[in-house]
Order: sequence, then structure tokens, then C-alpha cells
Amino acid sequence: MAQEVLRMEGITKIYDNGFVANKNVTFWLNEGEILALVGENGAGKTTLMKVLFGLEAPQSGQVTMNGAPVKILNTLDAIGKGIGMVHQHFMLVPSLTVAENVVLGIEPMKNGLFDFDTAVSMTQEVADKYNFNIDPKMKVADLSVGQMQKVEIMKVLIKGAKIIIMDEPTAVLTPQETDELFEQLILLRDSGHSIIFISHKLEEVKRICSRVTVLRHGYCLGSYDLADMNESDISRLMVGRDVVLKIEKEAPNIGKPVVHIKNLVKINEAGKHVLDDISFDIHEGEVVGIAGVEGNGQSDLSDVLSGMSGFSSGTVEVNGNDIKGKTVHDIRGMGMAYIPEDRMEYGCAGDMSIRDNIMADRFFKKEYKSGPFMKKKYIDDLVDQYIKDFEIACDDKSQPVRMLSGGNIQKVVVAREFTSGSNFILANQPTRGIDVGAAEMIRKTIVKKSREEGTATLLISADLNEVLECSDRLLVFRKGKVVAAFPKANEVSEAELGEYMLGLKTMTAEEMEGLL
Amino acid sequence: MNKTRKIEMTVELVRILVAVAIAYVIALVTLFLISDDPIYIIQQFVLGPFSSVRRVGSIINLAIPFTFTGLCFCFMYAVNKFNLSGEGIFMFSGCIVTLVAINLGEGLPFPLMILVLLIVGAVVGVVVTAIPAFLDAKFNSNIVVVSLMLNSILVFLSIWVLKYQMRDPSIGSMGSYPLPDNAVLPNIFGKFRIQAGLFIAIIAVIAVAILFYKMVFGYKMRVVGSNPLFAKACGINMVGTIVIAQLIGGALAGMGGACEILGNYDRYKWVASTQHGFDGLMVAVLARRNPILVPVAALLLAYIRIGADVVNSRGDIPIEFITVIQGIVILLVAAEEFMGRFKKNMIYKAAAEGLDKDKKEEVKELMSEDGEGKEQ
Repeated sequence: MAQEVLRMEGITKIYDNGFVANKNVTFWLNEGEILALVGENGAGKTTLMKVLFGLEAPQSGQVTMNGAPVKILNTLDAIGKGIGMVHQHFMLVPSLTVAENVVLGIEPMKNGLFDFDTAVSMTQEVADKYNFNIDPKMKVADLSVGQMQKVEIMKVLIKGAKIIIMDEPTAVLTPQETDELFEQLILLRDSGHSIIFISHKLEEVKRICSRVTVLRHGYCLGSYDLADMNESDISRLMVGRDVVLKIEKEAPNIGKPVVHIKNLVKINEAGKHVLDDISFDIHEGEVVGIAGVEGNGQSDLSDVLSGMSGFSSGTVEVNGNDIKGKTVHDIRGMGMAYIPEDRMEYGCAGDMSIRDNIMADRFFKKEYKSGPFMKKKYIDDLVDQYIKDFEIACDDKSQPVRMLSGGNIQKVVVAREFTSGSNFILANQPTRGIDVGAAEMIRKTIVKKSREEGTATLLISADLNEVLECSDRLLVFRKGKVVAAFPKANEVSEAELGEYMLGLKTMTAEEMEGLL
Repeated sequence: MNKTRKIEMTVELVRILVAVAIAYVIALVTLFLISDDPIYIIQQFVLGPFSSVRRVGSIINLAIPFTFTGLCFCFMYAVNKFNLSGEGIFMFSGCIVTLVAINLGEGLPFPLMILVLLIVGAVVGVVVTAIPAFLDAKFNSNIVVVSLMLNSILVFLSIWVLKYQMRDPSIGSMGSYPLPDNAVLPNIFGKFRIQAGLFIAIIAVIAVAILFYKMVFGYKMRVVGSNPLFAKACGINMVGTIVIAQLIGGALAGMGGACEILGNYDRYKWVASTQHGFDGLMVAVLARRNPILVPVAALLLAYIRIGADVVNSRGDIPIEFITVIQGIVILLVAAEEFMGRFKKNMIYKAAAEGLDKDKKEEVKELMSEDGEGKEQ
């Protein structure tokens, strides 16, 4: 029987808006094992780990380490107790070197000044010990995503962590980088570290974990030995039913181009070409997917198309209208609907009601007002209908959006954008961080709108499964360029996609001819 | 989740009442220390404002300017711009309205004259607020600094106008020529001696409430104030909305200044800032930025002020003392997290109760599906 290094007993965490994220959850971790923590988005995985890492205080429950009860007050305390966390979104300073990032918090000093040489040698030592092939003197800004993640892991190791929490580490990695990460994790495991691996990619869980703890709706459904389970067993536990990952869709009925992008260049304030000579069209009735490692120009493209920011040169036309110098209002008027990447920042006003949030893009149109007044009755009825159509779980239309769950907030956003009457939908990460049910509904609606109403859709997503399933045509972005184009997204394998995303392969202009 | 909403609203109400109560308790304790006759003083402070018809009238009279400036700051809050020019506008508009009234003389009949003067007051407000509003929109200059500096300018500009453009040399103190009779708002309700500006204030509150909650512009304004990035992503013209909201606010402060002069004075006499603007800021905070609650908050503030006056005239307590009490009330009401823990605990409790209720069924249901799972 392996030594138990950590036990969390009866953890209940209630957030200030009354949402219960963890309900009496109990789980434990053995020495030298990789434990998978799985569950849908919103099942409480991240909250549980935040409690463990001292980022959130639970209302009740007890944490025990090596048999002794402990209280984790804050993150410093957690680090001191040998717990380290590798966040999904990297916490690195891009302008500093690897060594400087790694020693942050435990900086070596000489004569009262920062000792860079010692920092480098300390970093090199950790890198050698755990077989990280990385130069401590490189600037973080110059690293690839996979390398940045290694820096994050080294940051945790150098502080002496024995328990490492990895929050969806593979979400931003290509399949090739994932393989490398797994070798590293196995090495760490064999040297006595315990790893909590949060993921909802079940084949990965099956590959490197020995045990799995399943959370659902905040409850812990128990811990299971992975030797006795297959992927569909786990997914049934997670979701309570068999998940359909395939989306049934007939071949697209492609019409005239709705969006026309020609030689689009955007140079950011730092002088970097974030969009570098991009040309492609989006036609009526098709879903064009964009895959790529995050930060390769996808967000910049979304900003340009929505009018949130300008561009340097080239032409972009929406339904035949040039968008150069136009405001978001103008572009929406040309027929664009926009699901922004960050729903809380750009997609809604948290303190305002569902009704007010749904009206935000259209309140000025004639049909919603009489003179300077809003048509209350008409709007109320319409919003009630949308709440029904989009299955938004809420008290009523006057409930502030901030009180809803993430999935329901996204449904409010989607209800607004899908009913705006536009023929071009710009969907940037439309299902990020929401539960499977809501995500499935949104994906199906995207496909349905393109088939039934002939909507042109641009789908930008970091979720490879999502772009592969929903898109008709698929483009791959790397360093602000289109490096690959596929006519049928569902015939592309993730591994092949990964090679293009990483830059191991690039298509020539001839190969992509006719696909842009 | 509905429970959470109810708790939030209840706590909000309880919080304001507790804040007022705490302030009074502190006042009580302090009074016992500094007064020879604390019981009498407290009685005067709490009940004094209601002791005569005249005083009740005074509360309402004092609440009128507070209502105008309170509404003004509701607009500033709605678009998240701390444009403090309402303070200077109140005084300056009173000054300019008097100047116009004196120069127009008896030329216009009574109701028309009042209307013209109110419009003058509103226009002064619009023109003055436009300065910080445009500097902010165009050059991103700090609106707080600009509007505060502007207030100083307006105070001295008003004094200059008074001294060199309309001073009545026949009276001993500093004051303008008397307002013509057709420019004076009459007192109403007989013994209460309430100025007729009350009607204008009531109309203003209703109009603002309709603008906020029924009209397209009010909606746009609330979206912009609530989340500017979201407003941008939805294609709402932010700069225009922000500037116009401030201009409307300025117009209200200007009308407030006009009403005050026409209703309560026979000539313009202000030689220092009246503080009505900053009182309006307080009123807006007390009213939780909700125009419908502005008159309530204005009456509360006026009640405290009149209580202070009563104490000051009857007892041995200096008026500054009352200012301290007032400060404590505002501090506690404005501190949104005051009693926040209490609120959170109530929310947690409600959530935990709900949890216990549905727990049994939900767990049973979840577990029955997973019956075949092999628990370790």
C-alpha cells in the first residue's frame, strides 16, 4: 500500500454569489502517483485545487498532509508545505530570462543585489536533474508554449514541491509537445513526486494516470483504479450519459463569399507582424475553423474582423463593404455578429439583467423602440422566448447575469449574437470553460445556422476537437500566417494538425490554392 | 439563486439602517461626554426637525437643492465619470440667473420668466460641464482634477460677477440688486413655507427616472457605465454617451442653482461655495445611484442638517459636531463591504440549506447510475 501524502476530507466551498462549487468532497493522493482529477467544466476541479493551493478558503473540510492535519492559509503557505501549481494560463514575465522567472520568489542575493549567475546555475541544476532541455539565459518571450510550460514546472520544482498540481496542462499543447510533457511527468513520478493531473482529455488520463477521481456538479463520485476502467466508463461517470463527440452534419451548401480578406497585415505597438499577409474568404453556408497554438494571431484576426481594433494594410470586406476605419457598430450593421473570447470582459455586463444584456446590440433599431422610449412589452416577450429557445437556466429575465453559471452566461451571449439577424458569425472560443451540455448546444447551433440559414461562420478555437468537428474548411495559423488549409476538417487527424501548428510542416501556396 | 438575490437586497436595506443607527449611537455617546444636558440635546436632534410646521417645511426646502445635485451625480455615476463640476455649477448658475433676471427686469410675465431663467440655469450647467467632459473625451485629462479646479474658477468668477456686475451699493452687506418680483418662486402650502421649486424637483426626478429606465438613451448609458468594454463590443458609441450624460447632469445642477436662488432668496448673496454639489454627491451615494431613491436620500440628509440647526440654536453643541455624525453615516453607507461578511454568511447558509435538501436525492441519483463503478 502506497504512502498517502495528502487527503482532503469533506471540502465544501460556497462562492459569494451562492454557488456551491464543492459539496463535501473527499479525495486523497498517494506518494509517487499521477492522479487524474476529471469532471466537466464547472464540476469543481479548479475550485478544489484552488482550495488546496490556498487561493480559496473553504467553508468546511479538513486537509491532511502525511497524516497530520494542516491549514493552508495562502499560496505562500502552500508552497512552504511543498505544494506547487502549474496554472493553465502561464504566470511568467515574458521580458525576463528563464532563470529570472524560475527563481522568482527565492531570488539569490549577493551584496544586496540580485545574483544572476547563481540564478542561472540554480536553474541549470534543476534542468539537469529532471532532464529539462532548456537554456536558462533565454528570454521567456522567445520560448514556445511547450517550453514555457517547462519553465512553469521548473518554477514549482525549485521551490521544493513534492505535490504538483497541473491544471489542464495539455490544453495549449500540440500532440507532440504533450508526448514530451508526459515523459517528463513520468520521470517526476519515479523520483517520488505526486502529481494531480486535471484534464478532460480522457485518452491522456488513461495513458499516464494510475487512479482517477471524478467530480460532477461539485460532488465527488469517488476514486477509481484506472486499470479496471476504459474511457467510456470515465466519461459516463463525468457526464452521467454517453457523450456524443461527433456532430452529425450534412455537406455544406456553399454560396457567395460573405467575408473577403485580402493581404491583411496588422503590426502591433511593439512592431511585430501579428497578422502577416492573410488572405481568405468565408462563404455563405460554411463554417471555417481556425486552429493554432494560442497567440499566433487568432485573437488579432478576431479583433480586426469585429472592429475592436484596426489593421495596418490590406482589405477586409463584409458583405461587400470595406471595414477599414469602421466602428464595431458599423460592422455589426454590415451583418456581423460577434461572440468574444472573454465573455465576462466583452460579452456581458454582469450587473445588468439578462434582458438588458440581450438587447445591447440592437436596442437602437426601430423595431425595439417607439420614439425615444424602449418597447418594454415587445422586448420582454422576445427575451422570454430567447430564454426558452436557448434553455437559459435563470429565475427570470430581470436576473443579473453575474448570478448565472458560466455556461448560462455564455448562452445569454449566444442568444444575443445568434438572433441578431447577421449572416456572418465571428465565434472566438465560443465554448471555453463551460459545461458539456451548453457547449454541445452552442456547437450544434453553429452548424445548424450554417446549414439552415446559410450563415457564414468563422470559428476560432483552442479546442482541437471542436474545430475538427464543427468546421467545414480548416485553416491553421502560425506566427500570423496561414500555414495550412484543409478542405474537410473532419478528415484531419489531431497529430497532423499538431505538426502544422508547431511549424514542423508548412503548406506551400500552391498546396493551399483554392482552399483560401 | 433567487435566494441570493433576496438576501442581497435585504442586507442592503438593513445595512443602511444599521449605518444610521451606529452613527446615532456614536453621537449619543459623544454627547454624554461633551454636553451638560445630553438627553435634551438628543431629543432636539432627533425630534427637533419635526417640532414645528415651519421646520418640516425647512427639511423639504433643503431637500430640493440636494435632489437636483443628487440627480446630477446620478448621471456622473451612471457613466463612471467623477465629474465634480456640479459643485461650482450650482453657485455659478445662481449667479448668472440673477444677473439675467436683473437685466430682463419686469419685461416678461411671471411663469414665462421662471421658465426662461430655469433654461438659463440649465444652459449654464451644460456649458460648464462640457469643459471637463470634453477635455476627458478628447485629451484623456483627469476629470477629477479638471472639474475641481474648474469649481475654484467658478467660485471666484461668481464673486467677480457679483462685485462688479450686479452689486447693490445701497445695502450694507455684499449682495446683488434684488430679484424682480416676476422672477421669484412663491412659497406654497401656507405655513410650511415650501418653495415652489418642489414641483420642479419632483418633475425632474420623474423625468430622470423615465430617462434612466424607460428610454433608449438611459439604457445605453447604463450599459456604458456597467461595462465599457462590453459596450464597445456591442457597438455602442461610448464617447458620445458619456459626454451627453454628463451634460444632462450639469443641466440639472444648473437648474438646482436657479431654483435655490429664485425660491429662497430675494437677491444673490453667495460669496463662498455653497457645498450643495458635494452634498449631492453624498445623496447620490446614499441613493445607491438610483434616481428614484434620490429624494429619499435628500430628505434624510436635510433632516440631519435641520436637526443640527435646531441643536445649534437651542443647545451648547457646535454645528461642526453634527458634520462629524453626518460623516459617519455617509462613510458606513458608502462602504459597500460593510456587513459584507454578514451578507456572505447568509448566502452560504442559504446555499448550504439548499444543498442539504437536494443532496439526498441528487447523491442517490448519481450513485445509482454509477452502481457498477468499482470504488476503491
